[in-house]
Amino acid sequence: MSLQVEDALVDLAKEKRRSPTRTRLWNVLLAPPALWMLVFFISSVTIVVLLSFGHVGDTGKPVFGFSLDNYKALSDPVYLKVFIRSAVFAIATTAISLVLGYPVAYTIALHGGKYKNALIAFLVIPFFASYLIRMYAWSTLLADEGLINQLLRDTGLSSGIRFLNTPGAVIAGLVYGSIVFMVLPIYASLERMDTALIEAGKDLYHSPLQTFFAVTVPATRAGMLGGVLLVFLPALGDFVSAQLLGGPSTYMIGNLIQQQFFEGQNQPLGSALTVVLMLALLIFMVFYLRATQRVNREK
Amino acid sequence: MTEPRLSMNRRDFLRGSFGVGAAAALAACGFSGGSSTPSASSNASSAAPMAQAKVDGDLIYYSWADYCDPAVKAGFKSKYGVNIVETNYDGYAGMLAKIQAGNAYDVVLPGARYVELMRKQGLIQKLDKSQFKNADQLFGWGSYFDNPWYDPNSDYSTPFSMWTTGIAYRKDKVTTAQGSWNDLWNEQAKGHIYVLDEDDEAIGMAALKLGLDVNTANPDDLAKIKDVLISQKPYLRAYSTDDINNMASGNAWIHHSWSGDFLNFIKTQATDPTQWVYELPKEGAPLNSDAWVIPTNAPHPGTALLWLDWLMQPDNVAKNIDYLGYPLLTKTGPDLYAKAASAYPSLAVDVSKVVNPTVYKNHDPADQAARNAVWTEVKAA
Repeated sequence: MSLQVEDALVDLAKEKRRSPTRTRLWNVLLAPPALWMLVFFISSVTIVVLLSFGHVGDTGKPVFGFSLDNYKALSDPVYLKVFIRSAVFAIATTAISLVLGYPVAYTIALHGGKYKNALIAFLVIPFFASYLIRMYAWSTLLADEGLINQLLRDTGLSSGIRFLNTPGAVIAGLVYGSIVFMVLPIYASLERMDTALIEAGKDLYHSPLQTFFAVTVPATRAGMLGGVLLVFLPALGDFVSAQLLGGPSTYMIGNLIQQQFFEGQNQPLGSALTVVLMLALLIFMVFYLRATQRVNREK
Repeated sequence: MTEPRLSMNRRDFLRGSFGVGAAAALAACGFSGGSSTPSASSNASSAAPMAQAKVDGDLIYYSWADYCDPAVKAGFKSKYGVNIVETNYDGYAGMLAKIQAGNAYDVVLPGARYVELMRKQGLIQKLDKSQFKNADQLFGWGSYFDNPWYDPNSDYSTPFSMWTTGIAYRKDKVTTAQGSWNDLWNEQAKGHIYVLDEDDEAIGMAALKLGLDVNTANPDDLAKIKDVLISQKPYLRAYSTDDINNMASGNAWIHHSWSGDFLNFIKTQATDPTQWVYELPKEGAPLNSDAWVIPTNAPHPGTALLWLDWLMQPDNVAKNIDYLGYPLLTKTGPDLYAKAASAYPSLAVDVSKVVNPTVYKNHDPADQAARNAVWTEVKAA
């Protein structure tokens, strides 16, 4: 996905500027999305940033202000702990998605033949159902007296395994929720790769494994970077998986933010948490942009 | 993808958008600053004429999930020819946040202290009781709820149900229960214990275990409560208000639980009801109530009044007690409940004890913030 976007940008940059009438048309066409962004994205982000300097008023409603108290409150080690836990969950999710997603993308792209599109469609179909519904389904399947544990008991394989309410369950939920966003960009980059390069690698007496790491992996680096970005960013801010599959000690930063807005009634503190999370994501985004620039230069 | 074709480059676009966005945000901030004076809005609502009980649209219903007999809802729909559009919450704080954010509902079922809070914040309407055909079922027969602590004269609310908070456990898994809040630290059930995901309930439970006031906001008390709740985490499976499903799925062996949910579970979901026990810990148990309200911004207050009236009708009271497992606070409710729960003495709810030391009360903002901070830190730990 990201590869296509980059290429389109490069192509467009090469093109000459259009005539003034064409430009005006584009400006008109851009007005609705610009307005949309303005109202629903930029103004809401601005409110969050402003509110993060506010406090809770006498009636329990949030009040705007100019104090750093919320950010000072965030220096409590308990918040750092939650940030680190979220980062560990998100990194694990990304790594597992990459390890599981790459072979899937590889098999479909290089060995899918005429079934390629059908296979991709099968991969995407479960994502038509809401993430929330799928997580609920998991919690029913994996319950102590749920279907999977009953099967295990009936077949005598195990006396029952506690799947639910563990860190593993949260990460598994996150992987399931986002793996398709890893598979698709890698699939796109494998699709576009010249398979003659693999032949060449073999001709140069590389083993299949050596060829894979020396040729295929570098050629699909942009796809992997795109997948890592698309999986890591949502995973870091997720709260659904921890809420439905997690236990008492699997709170993520998304749960904390949700709690401040909907339970703790401390929207200013929740806003400060959101701002810190956005800054962390921004740093990761900059890292991604620089990495993709490097990949493009090497081409 | 079309951006490079623009005469305006991306940076200009972003800068322009940000400027206008910031202006919009500042306007919003000024707006909310203006509306945050509660006296103005509550005066306005009390001066307005009170709603009349007549159909003025579908019923936008906001309550706990499955907290009304479907037959009662179906009867209302067919009698008045309206639809019930239902949304659910899983905790009072989340409910309040939604209403404060301006979401419009016709009827809402807050806990007692939230009724007081919403009345003070001008979020709910004064009710004209002459609009209720069944008002005699609820008021005027010597009921405590003619003038309850959270809403003088029940001007803004109609009382609904009452419950205790205790501990449900499985006899086949747990043989060492002591009839104390310590049972939520039981070694036999380690990893199978659930605590209710409600700040008042969790803090109240720890306070009772420590012999403190459930409503304490004293910093020393709160520090002790925080430590004792964190000490509990290794024993817990999760924090959740979904007690019925957690017991039904087999995940819970011990559940910090509401009395009515326990009775409901025993009657409808338990594979072997004889395995389950509901205990009221010896250190004391929270006893609380809730009441229906109509928000100030309700789109159909007329239908909402008809709904409140519908729930007071003796037939519907009987159906709901049978379905929910909670005593309802009408003339006939407590006796019907006593019959329904007669097999479980620990489920008895004395509706005359609504003024008691374990009722959750409101706090001033600083104390409330201190209690919220404890709950946040416990969950984050």
